[in-house]
Amino acid sequence: MVTLLVLFAGLMPSQDASARMLQAHIQRVVGVAATLEDVTIRLDWPTDAAAGELTLSAAAVDSPDLGYHYRDLHWRCPLRRTPDAHWTCDGALVSGRSAPLRLVVDIGAATTHASLATGAARFALDRNSASPDDTQLDLTRVPLVWAQALLSQAWAAGELKDGTLDGHLDVHAPTDRPLQVTGSLAVNGAAFQTPDATLAGEQLGGRFGIDYRKATNLTTMTLDGVMQGGEFLAGNAYVALPPSAVDVRIQAQQRRGAGWQLPFIAWHDGKALVADGSAAFDAETNLQALDLDLHSTDLAPLTGRYLSGWLAVAGLPDLQLSGTADARARVAGGRLQSASLALHGVDMIDPKGRFRFEGLDGAPAFSATAPASSQLGWTGGQLYGLDFGAARLPIVSGNGELRLRDAVTLPALGGTLRFDGMTLRPPAGDNGADIRFGLTLDALDIGQLSKRLGWPAFQGQLSGRIPNARYSGERLIFDGGLTMQLFGGSVQASSLSLERPFGVAPSLTADLVLDDIDLQSLTGVFDFGSITGRLAGRIDELRLVDWSATAFDAELHTVKTHGVGQRISQRAVQNISSVGDASFATTLQSQLIGLFDDFGYGRIGISCRLSNEICAMGGLEGADTSGSETGGFTIVQGAGIPHLTVVGFNRLVDWPTLVERLAAASKGDVKPVVE
Amino acid sequence: MKRWMGMPMSAVLALTACVTINVYFPAAEAKEAAKQFVEKVIGDEAQPAQPTPEQPKPEQPKPDGGMAALMQFDPLMLVGISPAYAQGAPDITIKTPAIQAIQSRMESRFDASLRAGFDSGALGFTQDGLVVVRDASKVQLKDRVAINQAVADDNRDRKAVYREVAVANGHPEWESQIRGVFSKQWIASARSGWWYQDASGGWKQK
Repeated sequence: MVTLLVLFAGLMPSQDASARMLQAHIQRVVGVAATLEDVTIRLDWPTDAAAGELTLSAAAVDSPDLGYHYRDLHWRCPLRRTPDAHWTCDGALVSGRSAPLRLVVDIGAATTHASLATGAARFALDRNSASPDDTQLDLTRVPLVWAQALLSQAWAAGELKDGTLDGHLDVHAPTDRPLQVTGSLAVNGAAFQTPDATLAGEQLGGRFGIDYRKATNLTTMTLDGVMQGGEFLAGNAYVALPPSAVDVRIQAQQRRGAGWQLPFIAWHDGKALVADGSAAFDAETNLQALDLDLHSTDLAPLTGRYLSGWLAVAGLPDLQLSGTADARARVAGGRLQSASLALHGVDMIDPKGRFRFEGLDGAPAFSATAPASSQLGWTGGQLYGLDFGAARLPIVSGNGELRLRDAVTLPALGGTLRFDGMTLRPPAGDNGADIRFGLTLDALDIGQLSKRLGWPAFQGQLSGRIPNARYSGERLIFDGGLTMQLFGGSVQASSLSLERPFGVAPSLTADLVLDDIDLQSLTGVFDFGSITGRLAGRIDELRLVDWSATAFDAELHTVKTHGVGQRISQRAVQNISSVGDASFATTLQSQLIGLFDDFGYGRIGISCRLSNEICAMGGLEGADTSGSETGGFTIVQGAGIPHLTVVGFNRLVDWPTLVERLAAASKGDVKPVVE
Repeated sequence: MKRWMGMPMSAVLALTACVTINVYFPAAEAKEAAKQFVEKVIGDEAQPAQPTPEQPKPEQPKPDGGMAALMQFDPLMLVGISPAYAQGAPDITIKTPAIQAIQSRMESRFDASLRAGFDSGALGFTQDGLVVVRDASKVQLKDRVAINQAVADDNRDRKAVYREVAVANGHPEWESQIRGVFSKQWIASARSGWWYQDASGGWKQK
């Protein structure tokens, strides 16, 4: 089996008659699996000794098929003849400066045994002259890094870090047919990584049946077994394998000069995920084609095992899923061609309370090319604490976008939301998602809205039409406006936009116009004391960040209306004064206030321009200001007797303090301060 | 759009006449604001581990009565130009509750996970004011998902800050300039040994 190309051997009788020495120098030894260069064999055997000393060294050992290359190899061992006529030799093998391994060789009449060991690791090789093409390999706790060169043959970037192999392999290497390796291997604690760390695995365990065949032009491999425990990641995808076994079957083949093809992939992780498909890579191990069918009978464990990497990056790390789902993805030419997802009774809950969907059902399909129709529905859900009802979306996909085929009506807050003409372009390259739709709100109950948002018990209805809404770059911008019927009047909202609706510090901007608001109902809701009359005004450039007001330019005033009385109760006066931090003053003596239950007024007006946490306050436009050396402003202009005027002096008011006092006033636990 | 310029200038203007001047981007003020923000998030280099006595946190003034208003009170109000203060002279403020909340969240995230990533060289500051995992091999696999999440969360916060600083100062159109100022500041405040991306996109170690 071993061909000696150049052989120079000499037997040199020693000067010392009591010992014999054999020395051979062979320039090159070529075997099927390896080539040895510059080989020296030397045997010293004292005449009466039981064993001789064998020293074997080679300048280079190369195994191009397996990818192993050693330099400066030395093996020194005592050579013995056993009673059953075997030659054995057991000694330390050193390659370069690496730690020595123990190499044992046992050659009988028909059998050859060799084993390489270090610590608990042992790699054994057996051959029998009856079947000269066959070699048996036994592995016991063999470090996985020993297989690095073998792996590099198939995957240049893969680096094995840790782990052991146990098992048995049969190598069948006939001279005229392909090399074949079959057997079974158990992997424990395997760790690997690519230099750029985009692919990595740790603590991976499993048992596999292996069938590897290598011919001149085609290499094939079949792996069939189970994975058990461990974790790996690829880019943002992170897989934490369950302690239970995952059945894995992979067929792979590689033609000379081409990339690996995986005509068959199966991954069966109980109820959590069953995946079957095929894939192909180019010569640089880039994914070229993929056809994958996925099925999950129980989505609950899926997020922890397979989706946590993506969800974490998307800002939804603890998303809860339940129900069943099927998915299919097809990649061709390195690009996603189509993807579909079929959901069956899926509940999706954001633990941060931003949204929840119940009973998601349907199969929204995405197609980059030919149009595809699909639909998606749900039985109910919640958005920022606001419930919405069942809906069914008819979806058409084509040309890389999703569209709603018909308008969709969604019951919410006792009324309806109607979406029409919706198109969605998923994120691609540097462009984020782009969504456009029209929205019609019909008779939403503000009472329910207030209750959900923890507002005072407002009563009224919200309606409106937004012909064009557009979401892109984390901004949702609405053209058109909404009208709220509130307290017998109306509030019109326009220039609405919402930034980062589900992200960091969601921020809402709007311009509001108030008209004909019944003050008695309004003050009743706030429990602020009673004011009768009608209110109008505007709140421009209102900006709520994280749902609290950070900026606006507001001006509110009463409007004299025929048949509507204009009275303000003692308590309301006191609350207005105390909210103003005693900077409001009345022209009445403080004792006098207590004598009257309410007062008539001519006008009430107040303005506040909020920015940087400071409210720049003003009062009635064109009203006389008394005590104006510090620039006071009139808030309540009295009428009749007793004549009451409330004047504010502090034009710059700290907004958080003002809000605190307003809240306290509406709870009735503020003591009036009157100067 | 016509606005008052910087504070001292507006005082002069108020004294002279009703002159208004086109608003320019207040680069120096923005830089100062960015520096305050960044240094607070990254922490004090001189005393990295010492538990310094608890400073009164500016984002929680908990004012009693008019004290807060007094604290915000500017002496210039006395000469009758107080409206200019409240109406947003182009001083760059980062004291809105939203920005303060994001800042303190970024500060705790930086201490909890990002600082170690910068120290090890796994993370780097990009030229556009974000953080990126530039060398994932420096991070143990078990920590990778957490660091990826921290980086994604931090970048969402960063984008929100750049936007909010611009909007809170009444100039949404300044967002990219604010971002530019902050990205320079992250690099300027970076500790020795941390990695950053230079203007041409190459990685450099400070």
